[in-house]
Amino acid sequence: MTMTSAEGLPGRLLYAFCCALLALASAPAAAEPAAAQALHPAQTPRLAPDFELPDLDGQLHKLSDYRGQVVVLNFWATWCPPCRAEMPSMQRGWEQVKDEGIVFLGVNVGEDADTVFLFLADYPVDFPLLFDAQAKVIEAYPVTGLPTTYIIDPAGRITHRAVGSREWDDTGLLDELRALRRAP
Amino acid sequence: MSGGLAIVPAAALLVSANACAELITGTDADAQLPFWEWRAPGMSLRLVQRLPDQSRAFFLARGFSRADVELIAQACVFQTVFKNLSPPAAPAVIEYDLRDWVAQAGGQARGMKTREDWAEVWAERGVPQSARIAFEWALYPTHQTYHAGDYNWGMSVFDLAPGDSFDLVIHWNQGGERHTATLAGMRCAPDEDATAEATP
Repeated sequence: MTMTSAEGLPGRLLYAFCCALLALASAPAAAEPAAAQALHPAQTPRLAPDFELPDLDGQLHKLSDYRGQVVVLNFWATWCPPCRAEMPSMQRGWEQVKDEGIVFLGVNVGEDADTVFLFLADYPVDFPLLFDAQAKVIEAYPVTGLPTTYIIDPAGRITHRAVGSREWDDTGLLDELRALRRAP
Repeated sequence: MSGGLAIVPAAALLVSANACAELITGTDADAQLPFWEWRAPGMSLRLVQRLPDQSRAFFLARGFSRADVELIAQACVFQTVFKNLSPPAAPAVIEYDLRDWVAQAGGQARGMKTREDWAEVWAERGVPQSARIAFEWALYPTHQTYHAGDYNWGMSVFDLAPGDSFDLVIHWNQGGERHTATLAGMRCAPDEDATAEATP
């Protein structure tokens, strides 16, 4: 069903022409970064809520221990299709920047280590995966849907947010992370 | 601005974004189930039927009892994806609140069953916390703000029964303007378990 109020053939043609132009206006130009890889900048960066969560081996990770580095903080779950979709690109992105002062942390929401261990057989990930079993950390940020990723600058402030999956090995996106790392 | 907006003549701007919208229906390639998708400049909303058996399997695996799972299976569940497709050259913030959306069926208007509605049900029934957490995050966010490139994926639940037909009236704000659309002729997935039991 196409919604139109234009009457007669000339009206319908004009309508179709105008809609095509509106669609063109909505489409990114070739030279622009794809909207799908966009990170939304925070208008006023705020301090990221600190937390301490265990990884698969039971080792505790405290967010504030990563001060001085850029942190890509991803909230996810194994049953969430877009979370699964972006995990391989997160691994690839992490491999490219792990020696540049950029850290990836995956925070699993509400699942146990056995579930995530099985998940890793299909989606191998080497950056730390942490467990927010009581969903306390996710509520503190706050997140409203999975996946959601926050970018935290070396001073510990949330500077960007992405709701939904991204291609984390996208060159433009990784360059944004590198720029944050270099920022004074 | 290097995008196409610069070449849009005034005539095109007289056509509102909603006027160029369309409802697309068909069979979702992944789920092999019917879908309804509203597409308009800068946004899309896709709802794909979920079978009651899919709800049973998903929530039984996450700590719900059979009796609790039936409350979900005997409702009307859709896999839902709402995307902000606005380009970086013309980014528009999109906001919605599921509590504004209405399912019209049999002359009655019904609201959706949100995370908050279900949280009360699960608290009353003493559902384990791990199951409640899984349910909360599996459900579509009750309200959300999407910037360019953002989207969510989750289950939305209507206070209807498997097999029911309805029209869904949705509202959202896009670039500061309120939009309304009707997705007519939607249908909840039938309960094949119940159908099989009823068949001699």
